[in-house]
Amino acid sequence: MKTNQKKAWLFLAPTIIFVTFFSIYPILRAFVMSFQSGSLINLSWSGLSNYQYLFKDPEFWLAIKNTALYALISVPIGLAISILLAWIIFSKVKHKSFFETTFFMPYVTSTIAIGIVFRYIFNGDYGLLNFVLRCLHLPAPIWIDDPSMSLTTIIIFGIWTSLAFNIVILMGALRNIDPNFYTVADMYGASGAEKFWRITMPELIPTLAFLLTMNIIGAFKVYTSVYALFNGQAGVGNSGTTAVFYIYNKFQIVGTPGVAMAATVVLFLIILFITFLQRKMMKKIGEN
Amino acid sequence: MKRIRWGVVLGYIILVIFAIITVFPFIYMILGGLMSFQETTSIPPTIIPKHFEWGNYAKVFAQAPFARYFFNTFVTASITTIVSLFNSLLGAFAMVNLQFKGKRFIQIILLSLLMVPGEVIIFTNYNTIARMGLLNTYIGLVLPFLTSIFYMYYLQSYFGSISSTIYKAAMIDGASDWEYIWKILVPMSKGGLFTVGLLSFISGWNSFLWPLLVTNEDSMRLLNNGLSAFASDAGSETQLQLAAATLTVLPILILYLIFRKQIIRGVVRNDLKG
Repeated sequence: MKTNQKKAWLFLAPTIIFVTFFSIYPILRAFVMSFQSGSLINLSWSGLSNYQYLFKDPEFWLAIKNTALYALISVPIGLAISILLAWIIFSKVKHKSFFETTFFMPYVTSTIAIGIVFRYIFNGDYGLLNFVLRCLHLPAPIWIDDPSMSLTTIIIFGIWTSLAFNIVILMGALRNIDPNFYTVADMYGASGAEKFWRITMPELIPTLAFLLTMNIIGAFKVYTSVYALFNGQAGVGNSGTTAVFYIYNKFQIVGTPGVAMAATVVLFLIILFITFLQRKMMKKIGEN
Repeated sequence: MKRIRWGVVLGYIILVIFAIITVFPFIYMILGGLMSFQETTSIPPTIIPKHFEWGNYAKVFAQAPFARYFFNTFVTASITTIVSLFNSLLGAFAMVNLQFKGKRFIQIILLSLLMVPGEVIIFTNYNTIARMGLLNTYIGLVLPFLTSIFYMYYLQSYFGSISSTIYKAAMIDGASDWEYIWKILVPMSKGGLFTVGLLSFISGWNSFLWPLLVTNEDSMRLLNNGLSAFASDAGSETQLQLAAATLTVLPILILYLIFRKQIIRGVVRNDLKG
């Protein structure tokens, strides 16, 4: 027991050192900086003024509104499509691993690179998407250069990128469902729809709760896909700005790190709250 | 019987449509990178170029130091992977096999840190790196990522499934902890370590926000940052942008197609536990 003590800390030393300097310290530092103003080299205490500035800044509210809308629209749609596709792959199709491999591709590839491709496909003049829409006699909006379309474009791209992870996790969960449930259901002559709603969905609920939380947290951190779609901007005239965009802008470009850190603290609290809700939800599900 | 068949047909149709939506951007990227400028902006759009313009790639390499970006990305992704894997391995071993005071406390701290999003600490970490004078250096690019709580947690669940009697038996036979790690633990969990390594390398290769913050010299940029800068500079030359995007994606896509099983299995295992 005694000899183990020293050894254990020795093995854990690299982890503890790095975690202290690059995980714990920066969190505390962010909290402290949110109460300071001035440039990075010359910070001084300023009480709650950063938070006051933040809550009066219309750009901040736009960023929060965009981020929340993005999360509330893209996550349910992405999840619904993922359930549909995973269920079809699982129950109806022979080449399961082929489709799984195909749908997972976006997860491993660079968002920046694929964003460039989407920017090209979304192009209002010569983009492929509008060409197809015109052929079908549908309206062809100006996806990239129209400020009122920015968020819609980001949401479509967001749904496209989110399917990969969801489908693979759902496939894992579907494989874990006891096949006897289906055998028994077949014996009683249950239809496909009945099996889906009465066996599959209830069994998937813990996984869905997990994916919902992961997706919403991910959605609140959206940054890279916006950067890629709009070539480093947050849409025309900042129309597609998001929480992380706002933080980056205040930190690096405007040079008010205090405001950026106040926004970071707010974002952190939102994400913490979502995680907390998930814990509660999972507990309730566990009790039933 | 007939009703079931229709369900299958409809299922296949939906799957194929979505599979096309998923894969098409990749194919279009590769083909678009081989088009002439006129072809990329023609109406109706060109899908398959008349001549494959391999010269686009030469132009990309001539206009921006992509070879250098490749080198930088490869070096940082490899160092991050190897060192963080090593640190996580040692940490996970201690947490699983050793008994010590404060173990629960450490576990709770690490698990709570797992919930902190990277975006919350990335800016203050930038500040730390800047004050250490490490901007535009390889050390600055990798330092905050040399340990990963996430992978350590993953390995813990992996090591936990190896019976503790094996560890006890090794100790009775007079093996040291160090010998146990390298002669028994590592060979027994090769699969898990390899998967963690792959996932870490891929996320290192695709990293964007951190290198964007800590590098501003062209010679120190990573692929994704080089690519996005190139996309702004190359402006209207769509075919070059697409060729550059292909360069960035292709190595990982090949890696993925070779190790798809390990990667998918790794991700599923990872995240259901988290």
